[in-house]
Amino acid sequence: MHPTIYSRALFGVAIALVFIWLVPVMWVILTSIKPTNIINSAVPVFLDFDPTFDHYVEVYERFRFGRAMFNSFVTVGVSTLIVMIVALPAAYAVARMNLMHGDAWALAILSLRFMPGMVIVLPYFKIATFLNIIDTQLVLIVVYVAFGLPFAVWVLRGFLLDLPKEIEEAGRLDGLSWIQIIFRLIMPMAAPGIAVTAIFTFVFSWNEFLFALFLTLDKGSTMPVTLQKTIDLYNVLWGSLSAGAVLQLLPMILVVFLLQKHIARGLALGAVK
Amino acid sequence: MTGPPAYFRSSQLARQQRKVAYLLLAPAVIILLALAIYPLIYAGTLSFRVDPLYNPKVARFIGWRNFTDLFEDSRFWTSIQLTLSWAFIVVVIQMVLGFLLAIMLDSKIRGSGLLRSLILIPVFISPVAMGLNWRFIFEPVTGLANWILSNGLGFEKYSWLSHVDTALTTLMLVDCWQWTPFVALILLAGMQSISPEIVEAARLDRIRGIKFYIKIVLPLIRPVIMVVILIRLVDEIRMFDLNYIMTEGGPGSSTLLASTYDYTIFKHGHLGLMAACGFLILLLINGVVGIFLNTLYRSEKAARQENIS
Repeated sequence: MHPTIYSRALFGVAIALVFIWLVPVMWVILTSIKPTNIINSAVPVFLDFDPTFDHYVEVYERFRFGRAMFNSFVTVGVSTLIVMIVALPAAYAVARMNLMHGDAWALAILSLRFMPGMVIVLPYFKIATFLNIIDTQLVLIVVYVAFGLPFAVWVLRGFLLDLPKEIEEAGRLDGLSWIQIIFRLIMPMAAPGIAVTAIFTFVFSWNEFLFALFLTLDKGSTMPVTLQKTIDLYNVLWGSLSAGAVLQLLPMILVVFLLQKHIARGLALGAVK
Repeated sequence: MTGPPAYFRSSQLARQQRKVAYLLLAPAVIILLALAIYPLIYAGTLSFRVDPLYNPKVARFIGWRNFTDLFEDSRFWTSIQLTLSWAFIVVVIQMVLGFLLAIMLDSKIRGSGLLRSLILIPVFISPVAMGLNWRFIFEPVTGLANWILSNGLGFEKYSWLSHVDTALTTLMLVDCWQWTPFVALILLAGMQSISPEIVEAARLDRIRGIKFYIKIVLPLIRPVIMVVILIRLVDEIRMFDLNYIMTEGGPGSSTLLASTYDYTIFKHGHLGLMAACGFLILLLINGVVGIFLNTLYRSEKAARQENIS
């Protein structure tokens, strides 16, 4: 099929639209390297300025953003790892084994993902206060495991259902035990799905705000909570804000570019299957 | 939904495999019982107690008082009403724009892959980081939005987020900016899974352009559309981060969505009341999802009967 004039025109419109759509993101990146007087000028300056990294230094020194980054990486990384270790066997059980009501189990687990955070956060707040683990990385790891697990099981299940049904049969004929079947046959075939699920789990927790707001104050805070401190009653530091925001957004933008194809498939699987 | 592979259906192995299956499922179930179900029950018991954050000694059971207090609070009803109309309007806009965007991106021209990943960026970046920066963009004096609107379109400079008449619309705009690409990408995945034979048949029948998408594609991706609506509805009803970051429910209570209202109860330290309100939000989500699925089921049944007769 050759693209018609009509479809070429439509594509041109799409390019323009996507460009306009991303102006706010570009504006954040631009603002983060502008000197403060340029940021606060009544007439926006687009490219005519001397770039500076002062705001990155400021957000690092004044708002201890290094610690926030470290907290984000630790809480989100560890919780994602735990989620994957627990979700994989569960997803395998509901997708490919002779489990009674496998689909019902999967749906019941998935339904937990739709609970409003406001209901769950209060018990966590009380228990964490009682155990004196409020404002630590530990409490956020626990919450992110609870909230990442349902979605991970569901998406992994979708990927595992997609694999041909004869794998286990073939493995058995080759004399493999079921553990060997899982590790030698299923895991390598499901590897892209496992990677996509891990990334989704990571992204959700990376951007999570509600739990981090309630359960951390300062030394356990992740980036989203720390960011809002740049714009509050005492500070209106647009430069620091945009520098911090860039540090928070950059890993996600990298993820989008590196995994574009897989992401679309993962999104579809999570939504459709 | 599909059954287990043949291997696990074979005779005496089946029972043994079932035991293993439960063993594999157990860790996930135990974790979710401990970390999701137990807190839910705990929140349930809290909703029947008075439990001031700053004076825990007076905590005690008070029956349904928290719920009746909420029902008598006009701000509660305003926020529920606002949440429902918010969710409805925003989801409709996202679905319509998302569908159009998906059509534009449903192309095999070189570069469309890059375009698709660029448009994914808003979906993956933090609503908090972007929400704060949107406040900068809508800043009355130095903001980019006012500069474009006043220079390009002749508007007066305006403080969009601090006026009752524009705050909600501005918030909607930002929310749709973030989530329309999500809708578009999932619809696009649905569109691209339509079999080439159907596309070819439509081409031979000279069904093209927008007509092709409305008459052929739309009915075929109906299940995908329904799932996306469901996901968006739930997320919009429980919306908190963007709402809290950009307006905190203000000015007045013109943007006070249910979760943010619940947060103000927490800030005043009424933990029991907060739990009760949280449960009502949960109930609201269940209600809306229930009504949605029920209508869906009925309309599908009606459609099937029409086909038979």
